[in-house]
Amino acid sequence: MTSLILPIHTDRLTLRTFERGDIDGLCAYHALPSVQRYVFSRTRDRGEIAGALKIMREHVSLQRPGDTLTLAVIRKGDQALVGHVALLWADATAGQGEVRFVVNPAHAGQGYAGEALAALFDLAFDHFRIHRVFARSDGRNHHSIKLMQRLGMRLEAHYREHALFQGEWDEELHFAILDREWQRSTKVRDLPIRHRVA
Amino acid sequence: MALYPDYPIRTERLTLRPFTRGDVDAVYAYRRREDVARYLFDVALSREECALAVQQRIGQVALEGDGDKIILAVELNQIASVIGEVSLILRSADARQGEVGWIFDPDYQGQGYATEAATALLDIAFGPGDLHRVSARCDVRNGSSWRLMERLGMRREAHFREHALFKGEWDEEFVYAMLRREWLGRRN
Repeated sequence: MTSLILPIHTDRLTLRTFERGDIDGLCAYHALPSVQRYVFSRTRDRGEIAGALKIMREHVSLQRPGDTLTLAVIRKGDQALVGHVALLWADATAGQGEVRFVVNPAHAGQGYAGEALAALFDLAFDHFRIHRVFARSDGRNHHSIKLMQRLGMRLEAHYREHALFQGEWDEELHFAILDREWQRSTKVRDLPIRHRVA
Repeated sequence: MALYPDYPIRTERLTLRPFTRGDVDAVYAYRRREDVARYLFDVALSREECALAVQQRIGQVALEGDGDKIILAVELNQIASVIGEVSLILRSADARQGEVGWIFDPDYQGQGYATEAATALLDIAFGPGDLHRVSARCDVRNGSSWRLMERLGMRREAHFREHALFKGEWDEEFVYAMLRREWLGRRN
């Protein structure tokens, strides 16, 4: 494996590790009820968000199973923090990775999450040689479900009332995609007209 | 929660009871077989390994905390011999989640014994066990197992592909489940 080269640039976004100065950008969305409804790390105020940021700043690479890489999603131009994406190395021998993501609701609906996740999938499959990437979503989180489907992930599981989450029965969906199913975004760019065969 | 069922549990043709030391030969008759081991985590067992497996099962008769198992010998009354086992694992006492499983001697397949035994086990799980949801899982190729899950009224909740390695190959797995209200609806 070659060394990880960050930041990653997409058309509209830069993906980089978190920095101390991201606290204000993170406070703008991390404790919102609409975000807290679906996340595992519960934060209520600036102090708790600072704690979460401290942990995310340590998520800089995948060295061993259990490690997480968390990247801040920065909009080019105004350098606004629009959200974050994470890749967890769940299992080394079977090459399993899990992705998680959060978008500031103020920046939702513009395809930023899809653009960032596509770059993260490239990283997972090409750089980290992961065999299967999966994502879990609350059954009520329709934006997340649509995004998973748009990325070409298959619905593999639909668990009903299989656990308690935040004091209620949980409904959870699992989406997954295998390395051979992922159309790497860098390789499907349209050819210039003169090179097209049909 | 705590579940200490009254044993034995009798059905029309079967008796479900804790394992005893005398069951080793009957268990060995099917656990030695490659076709039985194919979809189990264990390989085909030697007689010594069977004796150990039976020894472990003797004490697996009640559920108290997460991870506890009830594993019962299924005896066919007509021949007074063990033809398989059924298991109930407590996955989460908090969320009242359980998982069922079974292993049967292929020589006695096709006569509804597994369905009869699993039904009795689900009655325990949802009745005195007061579980909210019971799941079961198996290899996608293990048709006799997932068809049993469907006969019991369980829903297919997951179809995982290449999510893990199993015996050196990519695993493909089904998860089935049913909720307490679905089971009670079927039984009333």
